[in-house]
Amino acid sequence: MDMVAMMIATGLLCGIVLVVATAVLLLQNVPEGYPVGPHLAALQDYLPGYSVSWKGMVPGFLYGSVIGALIGAFLALVWNLAHYMALGIMLIRGSVLAD
Amino acid sequence: MKMEQPGFRDAGFNEELLKAAIRFNAAVLGVVSGVLGSTLVYTATTLSLLKWGDNAGGYLGLLAVFLPGYSVSSVGALIGAFWAFIFSGLAGFLTYWLYGRILKERIATDITMIQNPVLKPSVLRMHGVSLGVALGTAMSLALFLSTAWLVFRGTASESVHAALLGNYLPGYSVSIWGGLLGSLELFLVVLVFCVILAGTYNKVADIRSGKG
Repeated sequence: MDMVAMMIATGLLCGIVLVVATAVLLLQNVPEGYPVGPHLAALQDYLPGYSVSWKGMVPGFLYGSVIGALIGAFLALVWNLAHYMALGIMLIRGSVLAD
Repeated sequence: MKMEQPGFRDAGFNEELLKAAIRFNAAVLGVVSGVLGSTLVYTATTLSLLKWGDNAGGYLGLLAVFLPGYSVSSVGALIGAFWAFIFSGLAGFLTYWLYGRILKERIATDITMIQNPVLKPSVLRMHGVSLGVALGTAMSLALFLSTAWLVFRGTASESVHAALLGNYLPGYSVSIWGGLLGSLELFLVVLVFCVILAGTYNKVADIRSGKG
């Protein structure tokens, strides 16, 4: 698995997901004075600077991208490590059997 | 005369080896998903405790509905991490197993392109639609089962937070039929996102390997 490609793909996707999630709430018809997306806004506790607003989507995209990239990196790292170990074991077993 | 599609044996590929590879990859993805899920629950709980102390809880406490024994506390975080590992791991395992079963025929043609698996391994490519069907099935199943659990518990009418999913899945409600409809919509959404994910990954991987 290409780690860099995976990081870019998952980072981009996670950033887009957070932007779309925010935009869906902003585009809804909410009566004047009512809070918009109070539950999604709880993410502010973990993502300082993010808010359910058009401006808040920018840091939201950045946070989503970074978190997504980290997830992609972890996935690719473990995937490649597991496969290299499996390949190594198979080669060792093969050479032992050949002897 | 009907032409048969080439299968594994025509491609000179060992079907038993492929099945073993699918099981292995599913196990790897299961472990990765489990670790990610448990890390998410543990980290979110710990951060909430650090920030809010005795007032921590709020939305996170709702996870106790699905994670038996979970609470927004130090011990609860560990219990929640355990259950998150189990559920996320199962979801990851199921996702790859389905992906491998759907992709079966296409894997055979890709495998024949390997030159030297040790010195110059082929780069993994993804098939977006197959991934979308697999992951979409796993996630929609999870949504439906979660909704059904709330209905079975008798707390459907009180599940106001779960009902908020209706903002993103029009027609979803905490009911059996609402859950079915929401699951179908979620399946389609995940399918689209997986096609985007796989397309982006394949494009970047091709560029980096000089084929793009």
